[in-house]
Amino acid sequence: MRSNVPITRLGKFFGDRDFELEIGLGQEWLIGDMNFTCVLYKIDRNKIKTDDVYGEVIEDGIKFLPPVEFNAQITVAAPENKMIGTTKMDQFEPGNITISVYLKTLEDLGIDIDFGDYVGYYDSENFVRYYTVVNDGRVVSDTKHTYKGFKPFFKTIIAAPVGPNEFRGI
Amino acid sequence: MAIPKSHPVKPSIPLKYPKTLLPRREEIKDMITKDGTYLPKSLLHADLDKGFLEFVKEKFKIVSEGKNIPVVDIIITTQNWSQFVETWDFQNIDKNIEPPFLTIIRNPEVKYGNNPAVMYNIPNRRMYYYMEVPTWDGNRKGADIYKIPQPVPADFRYSVAIVCNRMREVNTLNQRVLETFASRQAYQVINGHYIPIINDGFTDESSMDLEKRKYYIQKYDFTMMGFLIDENEFEVFPAISRTFQVFEVDTKTPKRKQKRQQPTEPEKIIFDYPNSATTKQLHFDYTCNLYFEDSVNVTSYSVYINTNYYGDDVTTIQVNTGDDIRIDIVIGIYNTEPKLTFSQKLL
Repeated sequence: MRSNVPITRLGKFFGDRDFELEIGLGQEWLIGDMNFTCVLYKIDRNKIKTDDVYGEVIEDGIKFLPPVEFNAQITVAAPENKMIGTTKMDQFEPGNITISVYLKTLEDLGIDIDFGDYVGYYDSENFVRYYTVVNDGRVVSDTKHTYKGFKPFFKTIIAAPVGPNEFRGI
Repeated sequence: MAIPKSHPVKPSIPLKYPKTLLPRREEIKDMITKDGTYLPKSLLHADLDKGFLEFVKEKFKIVSEGKNIPVVDIIITTQNWSQFVETWDFQNIDKNIEPPFLTIIRNPEVKYGNNPAVMYNIPNRRMYYYMEVPTWDGNRKGADIYKIPQPVPADFRYSVAIVCNRMREVNTLNQRVLETFASRQAYQVINGHYIPIINDGFTDESSMDLEKRKYYIQKYDFTMMGFLIDENEFEVFPAISRTFQVFEVDTKTPKRKQKRQQPTEPEKIIFDYPNSATTKQLHFDYTCNLYFEDSVNVTSYSVYINTNYYGDDVTTIQVNTGDDIRIDIVIGIYNTEPKLTFSQKLL
C-alpha cells in the first residue's frame, strides 16, 4: 500500500501551495510565453514488429500510439562534424536534443516518456527532425531536478537524432 | 528442416567440362591479352583499386529488408568525400549518407609486395622477351619482338566497412566474407590478370555511446597482392627479317708438312732392252724384294746392286732404299725384244 507522507522540508517559508504556485508560474512562462512544443511518438510495445532473435525492429515495423504534443524547454546541441569510426567518411551529424519537461505537464497529458520512444521537433514549418530517447531521465531525485530541494518538478530527457530508414513519423 | 526448392537443384548441365591443368593455364594466359594487343594490359594503382571495388560489389552483395545495401562506388580518400556526398543518391536531408551502406577505404601507403610469384626479381629491371609477332609490310615477312619488364609486386591494403543499424546486416556481411575467404584467399581478374586477395581479419568500431546515435561499424581488412605493369615501359622493335652472311678467311697460305708419299710402284717390275741394248739400270726409293717371274729372248742375266755384282740368274733380289739395280743380259736367238719381268714385294 502506497503511503502519503507530507513533505515538511522548508516548512517555515515554503509549502505545497507555494510549490504549486511556482510550478504554475513556470508553466505559464514555458507554455504561455515560450511555447516550445515537441511531439511524442510513444512506441506501442505490443504491436511493434521485431526480430525474434535480436529484437530489432524490422523495416516499417515501428508502431506507435497516437502522437501527443507537449510543451518543454528544448535545447538542441550543435551539430558535430566527425568521421564515422575510422572510415574517413565525415558526417555533419545533428546534435542531440535535450528536453526539460514539467512532471505536471506529463501528468496532465497522461503520458510518460521512455527509452526508445521517438520525439519529433519541428525545425521549420515543413521539416521535422525525429529523435529517439536515449536517456529518459526517469531518476529525478537529484537536487537539480527538485525545487530548491523541496520536491522534483521536472525531468530531463535526452534524445539522439535518427535517420528516415529508422523512423519517419506518420 | 528446410523445404525443398521448387526449381531443380541443377537447372542446366554443362556441355563441356571446364579446362584443367595445362589447358587452364593457357586459358588464363589468353585472358591477359584478350580484347587488346598482343601485350598484357597495364595494371596500375587505379586499375587495382577499381578491380577491388568491383570485387566488393560482386561478392559482398547484401540484401536487407528487400533492398540492396548500397556500396559507395568510389574508393574513399581524404579529398573526395565532401564533394562526392553532394551527388550521393542515398543521402538524407542533412546530406549525410544514410546507413546501411558499405564503403571501401584504401590505405594510402602501398608497400613492396609479398606475392612470392613475383617478389624475387633479377636486379635492374631488365627487359624480357614476351612474344614474337609476325608482320607483313607488303613486300616481305618479318616479325616484331615484344619485350616487357618483370612486374613489380605491390601490396594494397583495403578496409571494407559496413555501417548499419541492424545485427542481421552485420551477420550477412560476415557470412559473405567468411564464405568468400573460406580458403583464406580469393581472386579477382583485373585487366585479364589474376590477382589474389587475402583476408587479414576484422575489427569492430561500433558506436555504442549511450547518448549518441548507435550504429554498427565493422571493418574487414584485406590485402590485394597485386603487381604493377606499366605499358609505357613495353618495348616493341622489329626482329631480323633478312640475313646476310659474310665469311672472312685468311689469305696466307698455310705451311703444311708435306705428306710422305706412299709407294705407288707397280706390282711388276719390267726390265726391257730395246734396240739391242744389253744392260738396264733402275733406281729404287724403297726397300723391297724382287722375285723373278718371266724372261723373253734372254739367255742369261747378271745382277749388280750399286755396281756391285750380285749374281747370275738370281731369282730373288733384295733391294734397299736408294739402291740402283743393274741387270746385264745375254740376248737370245730370237728376233723379239728381250725383257725380264720381276714381281716385287714391299718390305
